[in-house]
Amino acid sequence: MKKRVLWLRYLILFFALASASIAYAQEITVSGKVTDATDGSLLPGVTIAVKNTTTGTVTDIDGKYSIKVKKDAVLVFSYVGYMAQEITVTEPRTLDISMSVGTKSLNEVVVIGYGTVKKSDATGSVAALSSKDFNQGAIQSPQQLIVGKIAGVQVTTTGGAPGGDAIIRIRGGSSINANNDPLLVVDGVAIDNASTSGARSTLGMLNPDDIETYTVLKDASATAIYGSRASNGVIIITTKKGATGAKKFGLEYSGNISISTVPKTIGVYNGDDFRALVLQRYPNTPGVDTLLGKSNTDWQKQIYKTAIGTDHNLAFTGAVSTMPYRVSIGYSYQDGTLLTDNMRRTTLGATLNPTFFKNYLKVNINAKYMNEKNKFADQSAIGDAVAFDPTQEVYAYGNKAQTIPNAYGGFWAWLQPNSDPVTTATTNPVARLKLTDDKSTVSRFLGNAQFDYKLHFFPDLRVNLNLGMDYSWSKGAKYVPTYATWQYVNHGVSNTYDQTKKNSLLDFYLSYMKDVKSISSKFDVMAGYSWQHFWVNNNNYNGNVPHDSAHADTIIVKQEYYLVSFYGRFNYTFKNRYLLTATLRDDGSSRFSKSKRWGLFPSVALGWKINDEKFLRDSKVVSQLKLRLGWGQTGQQDISNNWYPYLPIYTQSDRFSMYQFGNVWYRTLRPDAYDPNIKWETTSTWNAGIDLGFLKDRITASVDYFYKNTKDMLNFIPVPAGTNLSNYVWTNVGSMNNTGFEFTLDVKPIVTKDWNWDIGFNATTYKNKITKLNISDDPNYPGVMVGGIAGGVGNTVQIYKVGYPINSFYVYQQVYDKNDNPVEGLYVDRNGDGKITPADLYCYKSPNPTFTFGVNTRLTYKKWSLAASGHANIGNYMYNNVEANRAVYANIFRANGPWLGNVTTSVTNTGFTNNQYLSDYYVQNASFFKLDYLSLAYNFGNLVKNTLNLGISFTVNNVFTITKYKGLDPEVNLGSTLGIDNNMYPRSRVYVIGVSLKL
Amino acid sequence: MKRILKITFIVTALTLFFASCVKDLNTTPINPKLITPENAYATAAGYKQVLAKCYAGLSVSGQQGPAGTPDISGIDEGFGEYLRAYYYHQELTTDEAVVSWNDFTIRDLHKQNWGSGDVYVAAMYYRIFYQISLCNEFIRESQDSKLDSRGISGQDKINCQLYRAEARFLRALSYWHAIDLFGSVPFVTENDEPGKFFPTQISRADLFTYIEKEIVAIEPLLIDARANEYGRADKGALWTLAAKLYLNAEVYIGTPKYTECITYCTKVIGAGYTLEPKYKNLFLADNNTSNEIIFPIEYDGFKTQTWGGTTFLVLGGIGGSMVPADYGMGVSGWGGTRTTKPIVQLFYPDLKNGLYHSATPPKNTKAYPLVYCPGSYQGWDPTNTSTVIASKASDSKYEGYLYMANTNQQFKFCTTPSWDHNFGGTNGTLVPNGDNINVADAGYYKVNIDTAALTYSVVKTTWAVIGDATPGGWSNDTPMAYDAASNTWTITVDLVKGGLKFRANGGWDINYGDNGANGTLEEGGDNIAIPEAGTYLITMKLGIPDYTYILSMHSYDHRAMFWSDGQNLEINDVGVFTDGYAVTKFKNLTQAGVAGSSPQFPDTDFPMFRLADVYLMYAEAVLRGGGGGSSDGALGYVNAIRERAYGDQAGNITSAQLTLPFILNERGRELLWECQRRTDLVRFGQFTSGSYVWPWKGGVKNGAPTSAMYNIFPIPSSDVSANPNLKQNPGY
Repeated sequence: MKKRVLWLRYLILFFALASASIAYAQEITVSGKVTDATDGSLLPGVTIAVKNTTTGTVTDIDGKYSIKVKKDAVLVFSYVGYMAQEITVTEPRTLDISMSVGTKSLNEVVVIGYGTVKKSDATGSVAALSSKDFNQGAIQSPQQLIVGKIAGVQVTTTGGAPGGDAIIRIRGGSSINANNDPLLVVDGVAIDNASTSGARSTLGMLNPDDIETYTVLKDASATAIYGSRASNGVIIITTKKGATGAKKFGLEYSGNISISTVPKTIGVYNGDDFRALVLQRYPNTPGVDTLLGKSNTDWQKQIYKTAIGTDHNLAFTGAVSTMPYRVSIGYSYQDGTLLTDNMRRTTLGATLNPTFFKNYLKVNINAKYMNEKNKFADQSAIGDAVAFDPTQEVYAYGNKAQTIPNAYGGFWAWLQPNSDPVTTATTNPVARLKLTDDKSTVSRFLGNAQFDYKLHFFPDLRVNLNLGMDYSWSKGAKYVPTYATWQYVNHGVSNTYDQTKKNSLLDFYLSYMKDVKSISSKFDVMAGYSWQHFWVNNNNYNGNVPHDSAHADTIIVKQEYYLVSFYGRFNYTFKNRYLLTATLRDDGSSRFSKSKRWGLFPSVALGWKINDEKFLRDSKVVSQLKLRLGWGQTGQQDISNNWYPYLPIYTQSDRFSMYQFGNVWYRTLRPDAYDPNIKWETTSTWNAGIDLGFLKDRITASVDYFYKNTKDMLNFIPVPAGTNLSNYVWTNVGSMNNTGFEFTLDVKPIVTKDWNWDIGFNATTYKNKITKLNISDDPNYPGVMVGGIAGGVGNTVQIYKVGYPINSFYVYQQVYDKNDNPVEGLYVDRNGDGKITPADLYCYKSPNPTFTFGVNTRLTYKKWSLAASGHANIGNYMYNNVEANRAVYANIFRANGPWLGNVTTSVTNTGFTNNQYLSDYYVQNASFFKLDYLSLAYNFGNLVKNTLNLGISFTVNNVFTITKYKGLDPEVNLGSTLGIDNNMYPRSRVYVIGVSLKL
Repeated sequence: MKRILKITFIVTALTLFFASCVKDLNTTPINPKLITPENAYATAAGYKQVLAKCYAGLSVSGQQGPAGTPDISGIDEGFGEYLRAYYYHQELTTDEAVVSWNDFTIRDLHKQNWGSGDVYVAAMYYRIFYQISLCNEFIRESQDSKLDSRGISGQDKINCQLYRAEARFLRALSYWHAIDLFGSVPFVTENDEPGKFFPTQISRADLFTYIEKEIVAIEPLLIDARANEYGRADKGALWTLAAKLYLNAEVYIGTPKYTECITYCTKVIGAGYTLEPKYKNLFLADNNTSNEIIFPIEYDGFKTQTWGGTTFLVLGGIGGSMVPADYGMGVSGWGGTRTTKPIVQLFYPDLKNGLYHSATPPKNTKAYPLVYCPGSYQGWDPTNTSTVIASKASDSKYEGYLYMANTNQQFKFCTTPSWDHNFGGTNGTLVPNGDNINVADAGYYKVNIDTAALTYSVVKTTWAVIGDATPGGWSNDTPMAYDAASNTWTITVDLVKGGLKFRANGGWDINYGDNGANGTLEEGGDNIAIPEAGTYLITMKLGIPDYTYILSMHSYDHRAMFWSDGQNLEINDVGVFTDGYAVTKFKNLTQAGVAGSSPQFPDTDFPMFRLADVYLMYAEAVLRGGGGGSSDGALGYVNAIRERAYGDQAGNITSAQLTLPFILNERGRELLWECQRRTDLVRFGQFTSGSYVWPWKGGVKNGAPTSAMYNIFPIPSSDVSANPNLKQNPGY
């Protein structure tokens, strides 16, 4: 609709303003040298920027500089690890500066929603990381940069597949069934974090190398300005910008070669031991021994390999007249450790950030493009490799019944007497990988143009317009030949799909800033409007080989929704010490009916900078002391696959679900369940925090307490039978709270010219509890069973239950004999009714850690630096589905086929014959500490005078894990299967050699 | 001031502009496949598609086959399919079925040890109420006022009114399931629009009255029996439902209504349904052609796929040594469901140690050198590999059996499947390219040739069994019959413990026994041992070597369809498929023996209501004292069923034998696995308590009494909590 007109209007405005003439003031030259205040040594590489411009320079190897500036310019001297200084110059002169170490610039600015704030003035719980703080090594996605770095932010990679997708939870998520991902804002564009078909990662279009800062808004007073999408916190990512220095042209290259290995596989019987086991367990069953092969195949060895990857990033920075630019190209080639898995990703980034009219108009244009080509391995092979009979060969036929040579692709398979495959038998994992051809190509463009204009006639007022788009196009195809045993009855697979997503954004706000010295007050008022449109078109063509009508189906999903918002923020600072922030956002979503559409989300926060009070101002010890208190409400409307939950919709059946009247089959029409009154889910958050700094911020710390309460939860839950068109409906029922503490500590024990040592530590503890789950408030409500597992059909091991954390395990209590061995099939009769029924299931532990911490450190000595980072979860439990499913003797022989299957060697721990899926024995403590990386780097300095800086590094990622957990990896979080460990793609241990070059 | 004006102007302009963007929020679905009620009900064809869903609700689990977009949630889609859930409740809880799987609480069903938190009970309950809600929606949307407002008139309107009546029938059917399984349940009709409310609980008696009234109201609206399209309900279906409701009235409301039951049974019986001539055809892939089935639930290999339904009935019961292809399936069985010993004993009353089955002969015949025997009897085709003789020792001596259906046939021998090297002959001498060999009589011939000695012999054979195990002892033959279709000799015969052999033509010149009891026959071989007295089916296959036979215990009652090979009669471990006999009743094969359209999903429909059931209901209602029927009629109907089962009148009973216990057993025989058993046992007072126990009832191997509370299922605890109006059934 009007959006096109609007674009046009602002383009016209932009060109009109840009064409205005620009006058230059008189220029003067300033030069001098920069020294270290403690020992007087010269400091090379100090950045000298002219404030509010894009010009600047750096000191040379002798610590000297020279710069031409306009009269009355403010020079900003900054150097990593030292406190920045600002000096106003009025005449040509020599200006020698001595800089003293300090940890943080007092004027450090953090990005918040629709604006920035000085870190020291922030009232909310905000954490910022810049590129120097990021994790190192084999970083394949932006999320990996901050694993373990921020208190309250849990980043879990989904496994070892290339592309490095990860799930982020801030303060534990606020919903049960609605989306729990934080809102991601990249250069001012709130992106859609729903997955893209065929893509490896939600943030794949963003080259990690291009990222300048990560800012995490955790509490509602910080996030409420994002209203409806901010219940799970907000992550704001800004990318690197063009040069702000005298240097007109710069070139940076960084690249690495990585070697990924699988550190550990599941313990299973080898061929010889398995043969012995089979004969021992089935001495009297005729025909079992004839099923055994003669081979010793380590199937896990067959499907994994040492994978090579390489990553190259090239960035050009500079400025064309007054237009700074940065252009980057990234290329990543990564093999998976699972056979046939491969990703090739190319990213392009470009930013332009010109200013006009003496900085009255700032323009910031960002464009990011990604092209990703994938070959996906069929990950079912992971479980197959654990289960497949180790006495069989990969290719040759060992079973007499298998008389057809070269059938089924030449791979060994379990066959029926008539030579058809045994469809219930395990699939040959190598066949599964090699016969599956699953490819995708994904392109994604993320771009925005932001105009920030200080009104000429009223400079206190800024007008900001941000136009953004996030488009993606992807397509893929999966092909499995007809002779593949596991698709034999389906005549193979030939699926193709394509997807187009178009998300558009318009943000407009006015910002008014006034410092009224007479009353010692500063006002910063902002009001704005936001419009977002999400549009997706999925086409799936599913069929067999070759396509025939009996097996083919086309599924087209085309949908859109809109979000329209009005928002405002009022910041008031009194005497530079007392801070007040209030925000209000009014959100409308097309997901809800007209009467329920709008949600109002307020927040208030107070801050008190105690260290600026008289009694502390001159303290040599306390450099920072700030109290923060905030309250706010945020909303949630993102129920991922349901874009019209308030409308009655009829769904037509597909061609496999028709019904016959007479001789005609009819596609049926089903009225779907709906709640006409569905509305926003609301989360209220209280946050109290204290920020501390000692000894010129050599030691800084923060402590935050939070209490989050979600009500009217958007829930997919059972409703009274007969009241709707299904037993489960998306509706607003239930509430839940999260309470916790966060602690952050940064210490710089050693800061000298040659030596620098930083230690960062953060810790979080929180408790999650469901407080309401159904409309009738019955205290006996049993809860909603969730957590489907592999094994049997329809088994679940978790529950949503009032009074317990979400996804609490819901299992039988195992009985142990006097030797502490579990007794098969014997459980505690918890309700004492003399029998074991589901009434004896109990809530036992939760997959959520009670305590998480991250620790990182960096030690530098001259040109050497050593860095490491790790994270830990304590008190998290895991359902060991691999053991529950495979560690039983019944898996060895299946008469129905017949066929054999391997069991894990852990079977001896229980001695179970049959699966005991619901035993709490399999809910195991998965506390762990992981050293995420260890990196040693050497910087050769400038190879040529003043230029061509060379650095090399050697990094190991995923160095080691300390855990008692009996499975492969204690850290599993695939979103939908939280706390259930079932044949995860093993995380690689990666050895990386990196090179960086700067011109 | 001017500045402020400017700002005010800009702000006002922008506000007006942004306000108009808010209208974007009124978006409606842009997906052409998403259909609003207005689109769905725009035409009578649309109404029919929604009606089809009301029927499909009994058959599939969602809008994607076999799984994908489920109708109900919180349960695996296969378990949540109507018929499979119904089977779990009506069969797994009884003597007719046990399951070996370890899925959640599935084994509690057979133990009669379920609780209100049971997911399978919840699946059935919510599936029933899904069906009721679905029908309510259709009934609401198809009332005359809505039809008129949507411009549906003329024949379209008449059709839609019929659809509406059928939806009311389907709702009544599900309410009958509700009253039968759960007793007193929430009550919702078309007057309750979807939303947040708490339905009231209706008493079992009031629900009975409601269903009764609905039946009366719907009857004139439905099409005549057997007059509707296949798959759709008619008056016959409604009458059967009524008969079932009244037959069980004493259980539901404490008042007998057997007279009403007889009234409705009589209506069905008079409507022109006929018994399917062969019992087994009722459960095959082309059972839609049967004139016995009154109301089916339909399935199709490609068009109506589900993990429940007959897919479950066929595949769920295939395991052990069973070969899926024998049941028309191309995929492996699921090795789950079997039956218990008392059910097998309904067909084999004296059975103790299990159904004896001789060693299964090798499936693949060894490849011996062949000589082809083209002739007039087979169209002079030298390439026909079914009319050959073979050399077992790979020498010059060939032997085999040929069947001549007609008199005065001629044939020759070819050493290759062509006429290049052929022999004729006369008087036992082979002559290359010689004259045709003449065979005067029709019959089954033993043919021997020696290509070195150039001799041949052609001897007509008729086969019999002889031995102390046979009725004739070692002195008299018991003749076998030749079945041309399968090229086998068979006999069903009562044997005693002892031995037997096969011999031809009443003498010992040609006789076969079995050395090593391995299922292959040797000339002059050892006697075949019969371990136990009983009725046996003996099948001998000659043709070309190796000659084989199968000897298995058998019932004259053709409804006995069990797989005992490799199975134990006793169930020592419920989790082991081979403990308990498999039931081979449902198959994905047509009457012609051809597999159904898909290797994964049967085409077989489920006979929800059929005539034999109505016959038995009639007889039972008469026995229980209902008026309006006759004892002679009852006996006649029961014997009609018996005659079909036995193939002759050997199984017919007398009026003295027609008792209530007989009826229960006969229902067990006739309706095995057809989801009737629990209701029947409850009606006979034998479901719970100790009046009748079966293996693993009460969780004990030999069976144990259970509490009477299990006669009805609990209302799922999730609904008791969700709806404060609901009172739990006693005991739970």
